Amino acid sequence: MLEIITAPISFFILLSLFFFGAVGSLLLRKDDDSANIWGSFFAITGSLWGLLFSVATIISEHIAAFVVKGSPFPLLSLSFNIDLLSAFFIFIISLIALFCSLYAIGYVRHYYQKYNIGALGFFYNFFILGMLLVVTASNGIFFLIGWEIMSVASFFAVIYDRDDQENVKAGFLYLVMTYIGTAFIVAAFLLLYKFTGSFDFAIIKSGVGLLPVGVKNIIFLAALIGFGVKAGIIPLHIWLPAAHPAAPSHISALMSGVMIKTGIFMMIRLFLDILQPIPIWWGIVVLTIGMISSLLGVLYALTEHDIKRLLAYHSIENIGIILLGLGSALIFSSLSMPVLALLSLVAALFHTLNHAIFKSLLFLGAGSVINQMHTRNMEEYGGLIKYMPQTAFFFLIGSMAISALPPFNGFFSEWLTFQSLFQGIAILDSSMRWLFILTVGALAFTGGLALACFVKAFGSIFLARPRSVEAAHAKESPSSMLFGMGALATLSFLFGIFSSQVTFLLEKVGRSFTIFQNMPVTFLAENNQGLMVKNGFASVSGLAFLVFFAGVIMVVIFIIRRVVNRRQKTKIGATWDCGTDLTSRMEITSTGFARSIVLIFKGILKPSIQHEIEYHDSESRYLPKQRTVILGVSDVYKTYFYQPLHTLVHILSLRTKKIQSGNINTYIFYIFITLLVVLFATL
Amino acid sequence: MAVGKKIENKVKKLFRGSLAIRQIDAGSDNACEQELVALSNSFYDIERFGIHFVASPRHADMLLVTGPVTRNMAEAVKRAYEATPEPKIVVAVGDDAIDGGIFKDSYTVLGGVDSVLPVNYQIPGNPPTPKKILFSLLNILENLDKKPVILK
Repeated sequence: MLEIITAPISFFILLSLFFFGAVGSLLLRKDDDSANIWGSFFAITGSLWGLLFSVATIISEHIAAFVVKGSPFPLLSLSFNIDLLSAFFIFIISLIALFCSLYAIGYVRHYYQKYNIGALGFFYNFFILGMLLVVTASNGIFFLIGWEIMSVASFFAVIYDRDDQENVKAGFLYLVMTYIGTAFIVAAFLLLYKFTGSFDFAIIKSGVGLLPVGVKNIIFLAALIGFGVKAGIIPLHIWLPAAHPAAPSHISALMSGVMIKTGIFMMIRLFLDILQPIPIWWGIVVLTIGMISSLLGVLYALTEHDIKRLLAYHSIENIGIILLGLGSALIFSSLSMPVLALLSLVAALFHTLNHAIFKSLLFLGAGSVINQMHTRNMEEYGGLIKYMPQTAFFFLIGSMAISALPPFNGFFSEWLTFQSLFQGIAILDSSMRWLFILTVGALAFTGGLALACFVKAFGSIFLARPRSVEAAHAKESPSSMLFGMGALATLSFLFGIFSSQVTFLLEKVGRSFTIFQNMPVTFLAENNQGLMVKNGFASVSGLAFLVFFAGVIMVVIFIIRRVVNRRQKTKIGATWDCGTDLTSRMEITSTGFARSIVLIFKGILKPSIQHEIEYHDSESRYLPKQRTVILGVSDVYKTYFYQPLHTLVHILSLRTKKIQSGNINTYIFYIFITLLVVLFATL
Repeated sequence: MAVGKKIENKVKKLFRGSLAIRQIDAGSDNACEQELVALSNSFYDIERFGIHFVASPRHADMLLVTGPVTRNMAEAVKRAYEATPEPKIVVAVGDDAIDGGIFKDSYTVLGGVDSVLPVNYQIPGNPPTPKKILFSLLNILENLDKKPVILK
């Protein structure tokens, strides 16, 4: 049975399901409803098939490598290599795509009559198809084709809501950044081709010893920048907070939950598998980038009041956390400590999975709220827990998971990341130890700030009173949207409770790497109660947490009911307002909440404040008519990095323009000169 | 001061040493307020008996309402009464608060405090002196001591 499911033909069925979904929904574009149903139906079936396929591959440890014959170009071979790592990423893609597609059935309805639903289904399905190709392709050029399908399809999704000029601008920023990234990736692949003579990953891997050290380092940097742009590491992240909010929410969920992980996938594949062995400074660079991205990501999230931008900045933060795991894995592997490297890799993979789940849950929740409110500004929400109780509950679960609170999944992967860093502190010597201590501090700090940020987000979205007319008229979302969110929330809980079983499978994925093969001892003890790092170094159990929390909650309720309130009756009255009627303007806003933290970090965040006062009378300055205070955070990356870069390119272009005068005689002169030079050179 | 000692004992017994009073001005001419403020000065200093005036009805055991209830203040008085937790004692202080006093039958007032709230005790006088208020408080506390507190 497993052989049938893991056969190559099964993978082509998977690809063709998304292909039919895409083409069919484009053909049905005349009728909004049927285009939506068709696109979603094939995406759902495809995702289910993908789940089955990936789980079967991981369980049977079946590695499928196959080539489709009949490629028109000699260097491009349509070769696939589905190992356990690919299967794991197929699993993530299918899982998130499944719930996003379910959600889309209800969500897309508000675009009816406004935009072309068929086109949305087309790009959506092609987007997923592109991601599947990226994680399975085994040939550099074929990989780039998949990469471009993914990027271009998501670009069209970003500019889908094209009436808003901001979205179109965000889309172009995304496109430019993506192509900068692709340029670096192409450079890396071309260098690999030059020295190994092939674009095929397997051949590159066997011939990696032919690479000179300097070239290998250049490849590392090019790949880090190229895939880092997609992953959204700081300072290459600028497209992420612009593009993710612009896309329809189910696509933002996929972009933030899954697409940026394809960058991580390729980093793991290249640095831990293909380019092994590696120098230690690669790991230090990745670890440092992870540290910077996680800290700055969460700090920028705190300053946001646009709900989807806030979530996008949290994606940067979580990519940073994943990179902490990956970076320590690289360091351990270059110090030839495969056991610890495997532990760190498992932490990184587990966080990749968990982040995909809770981030897409949060994006779907945000989508439901935006659908009702028609704005992304959190200052205009408030009190939505009364009108959208189920959405609020699911969003709360997502917030708890992303803030790494037990018993949800985010806690366990961050715990595992912490453990791998602690192992580094325990085992490594002086300077590396300090790096790991610093990293642990950064990670702990990030966790605290993330919690503060989600207290702010949940509080200003769902608690207190409505701050706008729309908030007071909000309604609960349709059932397909609720189902999508509810299933993800359940998964977030289950993956926390059964974290030991999940990490056991992930360890299996990690062990399929060449460097981890034939490794007898493992750092993760197998037991069914919970996660445990070997030698009793540390252990944590999801089930124990659950029992403990349930117990504590029951005891607290018992004490309050039976001991504190035993002789009192509860009476519910209005809040005491000192005689002034309470209004929503008295509430603490998200900007106000984050203000103190922003001021603490004003050295990094560079907050700006602008006061404007308009007076009733230009002569007397006693009666202000209107006061405006504009708070903001200056974009340091634009001012100090992208703007100078742009100026440089501009100046260079102007210089080049002088050569290109447009005069045919000059051009003929150039040709003549070139001819002469070539002639003399050959003589 | 014998009265003070007795009050202190009663407050200790009935309120575990702390009686919190919220004063509500229902439209008073401030005569009663002057006398109530005098209770807190260094001469009377009722805080030493465990009685203190609090800023919110949420903290209060007892409401001291002064002045006739004017139309504008009626709603405020009702809300403050609603906000006071059970069990609560409502005391009307001064003749104005008892039946409207010299403002009775004015078109601006509704009458005494009992026209908007159920009043438990009254302290007559126009205005009552601080000493009189203290004696009356002692009376009220003795009276409370005799009957069991019934929770609503």
